[in-house]
Amino acid sequence: MERRNFLKAALLGSIAGAIQLKPEKIFAAESSSAKGKNDLVAVMGGDPVTMYNKGMAAMGGISRFVKKGQKVVVKPNIGWDKKPELAANTNPQLVAAIVADCLKAGASEVVVFDHTCDEWQACYKNSGIEAAAKAAGAKMAFAHDEKYYKEVNLPKGLRLKSAKIHENIIDCDVWINVPVLKNHGGAKMTIAMKNYMGIVWDRGFWHSNDLQQCIADCATYSKKPVVNIVDAYRIMTQNGPKGKTIDDVVEAKALFISTDIVAADTAALKFFNQFREMKMESVSHIGKAENLNVGTTNLESIKVERIKI
Amino acid sequence: MYRYLKSSRVVISLLIMFAITLNFLYFANRETTFFSFFLKIQFVPALLGAFTGSAIILIFLIVLTLLFGRAYCSTLCPLGTLQDLITRGANLLKSKKSRRFSLSAPKNLLRYFFLALAIIPLFFGITAALAYLDPYSNFGRISSELIGRSEQLIQNLLSLLMPDSVFFRTYSTFVLGSFLFAASFLALVIVMSSLWGRLYCNTICPVGTFLGLLSRFAMFKPQINSQSCNHCMLCVQNCKSGCIDAVKGKIDESRCVACLNCMIKCNKGAISYCNTWKKSKRTETDLNEGKGKLESRQRREALLAMGLMGTLLASRALNFPTKLSAEPRITGIAPPGAGSTDKLKKSCTSCHACISACPNGIIKPATTQYGLEGILMPVLSFERHFCAYECNICSQVCPTGALTPLTLEEKQLTQIGKASFRLKKCIVYKDKTDCGACDEHCPTKAINMIPYRDTGLFIPKLNKDICIGCGGCEYVCPAAPKAITVSANDVHVTATKPTVEKQEKVKVNEFGF
Repeated sequence: MERRNFLKAALLGSIAGAIQLKPEKIFAAESSSAKGKNDLVAVMGGDPVTMYNKGMAAMGGISRFVKKGQKVVVKPNIGWDKKPELAANTNPQLVAAIVADCLKAGASEVVVFDHTCDEWQACYKNSGIEAAAKAAGAKMAFAHDEKYYKEVNLPKGLRLKSAKIHENIIDCDVWINVPVLKNHGGAKMTIAMKNYMGIVWDRGFWHSNDLQQCIADCATYSKKPVVNIVDAYRIMTQNGPKGKTIDDVVEAKALFISTDIVAADTAALKFFNQFREMKMESVSHIGKAENLNVGTTNLESIKVERIKI
Repeated sequence: MYRYLKSSRVVISLLIMFAITLNFLYFANRETTFFSFFLKIQFVPALLGAFTGSAIILIFLIVLTLLFGRAYCSTLCPLGTLQDLITRGANLLKSKKSRRFSLSAPKNLLRYFFLALAIIPLFFGITAALAYLDPYSNFGRISSELIGRSEQLIQNLLSLLMPDSVFFRTYSTFVLGSFLFAASFLALVIVMSSLWGRLYCNTICPVGTFLGLLSRFAMFKPQINSQSCNHCMLCVQNCKSGCIDAVKGKIDESRCVACLNCMIKCNKGAISYCNTWKKSKRTETDLNEGKGKLESRQRREALLAMGLMGTLLASRALNFPTKLSAEPRITGIAPPGAGSTDKLKKSCTSCHACISACPNGIIKPATTQYGLEGILMPVLSFERHFCAYECNICSQVCPTGALTPLTLEEKQLTQIGKASFRLKKCIVYKDKTDCGACDEHCPTKAINMIPYRDTGLFIPKLNKDICIGCGGCEYVCPAAPKAITVSANDVHVTATKPTVEKQEKVKVNEFGF
């Protein structure tokens, strides 16, 4: 190495160190919109783990999103004190597979949490997610008290101008959004964007200030999930989001992975419509998010791969 | 032998007090209901629960007393053990001389007054007086309000030190009156036991007084052998009940809590348990007139109290429905298993076992929700959370049968209250935006979102027959004032089973896009 280059590199390195820039932050723009890579992968016909493995491979592998040494948050839906078969929460096997994959990619730590609706310990336990995630090497974080949330500004939001967001989302290097596809009495559907309600403290504000707009507003939060993985292995087609019995659940065996949260919701909604009709206009937070430039509902405009197992 | 007996008594009493305390502590009662068994072997819970499965325990406790006197008071009663600990603690601060107890006269008027105060209202379906005097229930409230809250404080301090492994426990509803009641009761007991040993047990405690009357008939009583006694007064100085009259050579068995201290302190071995059933026939002729009169008076009192207790049991068995006061407006929602507000009032002694057990922290001590006689009884509050659909723990831990144990299936159909919906307060009506928070939380789908005119919005529709009053909707309703609230069912009823909507099987082979 030339003396001059060495000095340059050393200087740059120390500046970067001083302002605490991590290399992945400098090159972040490059990695998230990698040219030639899939923006959305849809998989169907397998068990949750197989679908995840094939789907993630088609996305370019987890290493596209998670770099060595990073602190990762995997955010499933653990909202309800329900067993996995009732599909009120994200599939625990899927969560475990993602956790294991992140650790394999060199993540320094993987944290799993959700701001639950039912009593949190019962949700963590009976959803099967706590046990599965811990077995895969993740840490479960607490999210049941306001103490764990910090105020964040949402300058692009129309109704929701700020929100208290969970400290683990704020402090992590990257986060992965892992919702489950469900019918929802209030928001019509709960998919990827609606899953943000589990990273914030005051959901009541959303409900009383135009729920659909608040969902879209929160999706403008600058720290976006690096990838959204929609669990549609079992889907709740009616009486959502809590559900009553197994009769509310259909075994659909599908999975959607996308870097574009609006596209992920669009694709999942279109899939859902084959089981039960739900108009795009009714799930208006999807369109509202597109208007805020969060992502696109036009699946033609992005690179999509479909995999049938 | 008495030394050996005493150490076993001390060990057993500490274990039982410990187990009962654990039942009220969060870290111990989350995973198991094991400790709630120890609440059921308490006298008042056994008495009130005699017709809901505790009859065997009640018989056991009565037989125990008929055999050995008030062994209950120094072995099974947690408040008794607590008082002994306080006495011992206080002794550390006292001079040797002032540690000594002395003979005291029985405060008969007071103790029978308190006994009557506790028992008579029970005939009218009111447990309040018994609840405030019962040693177990008071111990429960001390555990719940004082020890339990200290535990929470410690846990929250630890959560600051170890934020990753110890979680912060959100403070649940705090009722100042209940806290102060428990604190002042503890203060009273501390003062009484550090100065006068078991004075509480022998003056105020209705259980102590009742068992004292019963123990007049006990088979084995402690007796002083006048031949070996040299009147050294060691026994008197060590008797925390102050019931040994060494001069006359008599022990007042109605106040003796069978602690066995006198027996192990006596250097002459002059005090021992004697079978009085055998002896009484022989000595009866020896009794002088005055003594005989005294004995027969005591026996009359004892018989009277037992007659009263028997009548009480009979009236409870027949479900004697007297009500003392005009129906107050019931606004409190009783926990599932209570059956009705009246049934709750008939058997609950406000020990707060259910309050400590509720994982959602929604049960709190009542202030005026049930009227005057229901103060401190458990009442649901949906301010901070709601009643979990998959939980029936409160009904499982109740030792008195005030809450009948419900299976999960039964609980999920028990309507403790009914929601009512006020359209004009609803966000969908007021703001013309989607909400559906209530529908989201409704476990039985008593709430359904239906199309609202032609706005494209959906509005809640309520089917009260399916509603079980869990309060999910009320808790989560973001409108201020709330558009949906639950009002109490004075008598709990069985709700209609939630409907099941079967769906057609759809075969899907495509992604749909």
